[in-house]
Amino acid sequence: MSKIEEVKAKVEAGKSKLVPGLVQEALDEGSAPGEILQAMVDSMGVVGEKFSSGEIFVPEMLIAAKAMSKGVEVLKPLMAGDGSASLGTCVIGTVAGDLHDIGKNLVSMMIESAGFDMVDLGVDVPADTFVQAVKDNTNVKLVACSGLLTTTMPALKEAVQTIKAAYPDMKVIVGGAPVTPEYAAEVGADGYAPDAGSAAVKAKELATA
Amino acid sequence: MLTKRQNLVEVMKGGNPDRFVKQYEAFALMMKTPITRLKPPVGGSIVNEWGVTLSWPEGQLGSFPVHDKEHIVIKDITKWRDYVKAPNLDYPDEAWATAVADANAVDRNDQYVTVFVAPGLFEHVHYLMSMEEALMAYYEEPEAMHELIDYLVDFELRLAKEFIKHLHPDAVFHHDDWGSQINSFISPAMFEEFFEPAYKKIYGYYKENGVELIIHHSDSYAANLVPSMIEMGIDIWQGVMNTNNIPELIKQYGEKITFMGGIHSGLVDFPTWTPEIVAEYVEKTCQENGKLHFIPSQTSGLPIDSFPGVYETINKEIDKMSEKLF
Repeated sequence: MSKIEEVKAKVEAGKSKLVPGLVQEALDEGSAPGEILQAMVDSMGVVGEKFSSGEIFVPEMLIAAKAMSKGVEVLKPLMAGDGSASLGTCVIGTVAGDLHDIGKNLVSMMIESAGFDMVDLGVDVPADTFVQAVKDNTNVKLVACSGLLTTTMPALKEAVQTIKAAYPDMKVIVGGAPVTPEYAAEVGADGYAPDAGSAAVKAKELATA
Repeated sequence: MLTKRQNLVEVMKGGNPDRFVKQYEAFALMMKTPITRLKPPVGGSIVNEWGVTLSWPEGQLGSFPVHDKEHIVIKDITKWRDYVKAPNLDYPDEAWATAVADANAVDRNDQYVTVFVAPGLFEHVHYLMSMEEALMAYYEEPEAMHELIDYLVDFELRLAKEFIKHLHPDAVFHHDDWGSQINSFISPAMFEEFFEPAYKKIYGYYKENGVELIIHHSDSYAANLVPSMIEMGIDIWQGVMNTNNIPELIKQYGEKITFMGGIHSGLVDFPTWTPEIVAEYVEKTCQENGKLHFIPSQTSGLPIDSFPGVYETINKEIDKMSEKLF
């Protein structure tokens, strides 16, 4: 098995202690940093698919993402300023009045693993704060809004509509337990995902469309 | 007419109930004991008996543990003993007087004197160390996690001993959310390793000491954990959501465990709820899930509502379905 294949396998298996060494070995063998990064992104794609299908659970996804981030730490100094490695910036947050962060954090982690730079606004985020974050950050390609409660669905709608009013071309993705594809379409979002793995796939699809 | 308790027994054993069990009607919950866990007031925050900071912001439906760096209790799971200290459970008899009076006031032929425990082991662990850290630690530091869970089990056994000594409960209602709406948080294999033996000890202890009924709350998907629930000794899974295939679960496991729920609180208990919406969901769940091994109930884990009137409206609609179907 080549070093890159080993990196892929160990990221998928969530071996965060082994991945940095393997990434270094792959570099030493002459693999390009971008190639290694892509291998890890591909691994996380597989992890996302397995999560979406119910084959693996949250812990397996978390340790895989942690393993990838350890590998990325090795690559970062070598890729500084290499914008081609990024799919752009994604602003993410849980909407106003809603304090649930676990689902949002998982989605953030998976979108980051797909190749985005993340700006995480946390929870209870007013609609205007999403707009401000788009303004304050460079190369924002996507805004992801999460809402877990039926009571905060109006805030989700307000967030999407406020972002769209300020930035009509900005892609907005929504998710959370009570959100359905129909609701996402109704409030004017560009995409919906039922879980963190699908969110990463949808994010990539929207940002590269 | 059967008493509430007799009717529940008939539902559970697949016998001849004379009506639907109305949500929590058969359980007289003992909430005023000196060892009932602390909760923050709405709009406030507290540091609970374990050092966990809990906050209940205005306008929210429940409280949240605060997990920033400053407030997280276990900062390094391998050194959990440095951070975790179980609270005192020794209280004089006077401190139990209200709870004892409450228990004595219950007609045990009609209702189960039911003690309440929350949070359970899984939640307790992530209250102490955050969800993400806890879930990763099951892989990365399994020995320390087993030790921590053993410590919490020991605490729960002492808690059970106090409840039994003072109140002689007929039932325990134990909370521990094990999943999201679409899946369990951890795999059945991991659950079997870390939680099945732990709960088997706790629920076994209650049963060995005269507690007849174990009711476990998890308002989530958890169909994949039902074999473990049965193994642990759970009699009623409260909170079963429609994302589980409830009719199929009843068919497959109804002889061994009863399912209580089917009315998703998020769909009926919200600011603009109407009696018509409630009626629709109650009818649907009663029709779909039938009379045996099933208790129609909101999925939320207490006989209360977030928006006034919902709980009682569900009860009224269940009465209507009893008239219609029995």
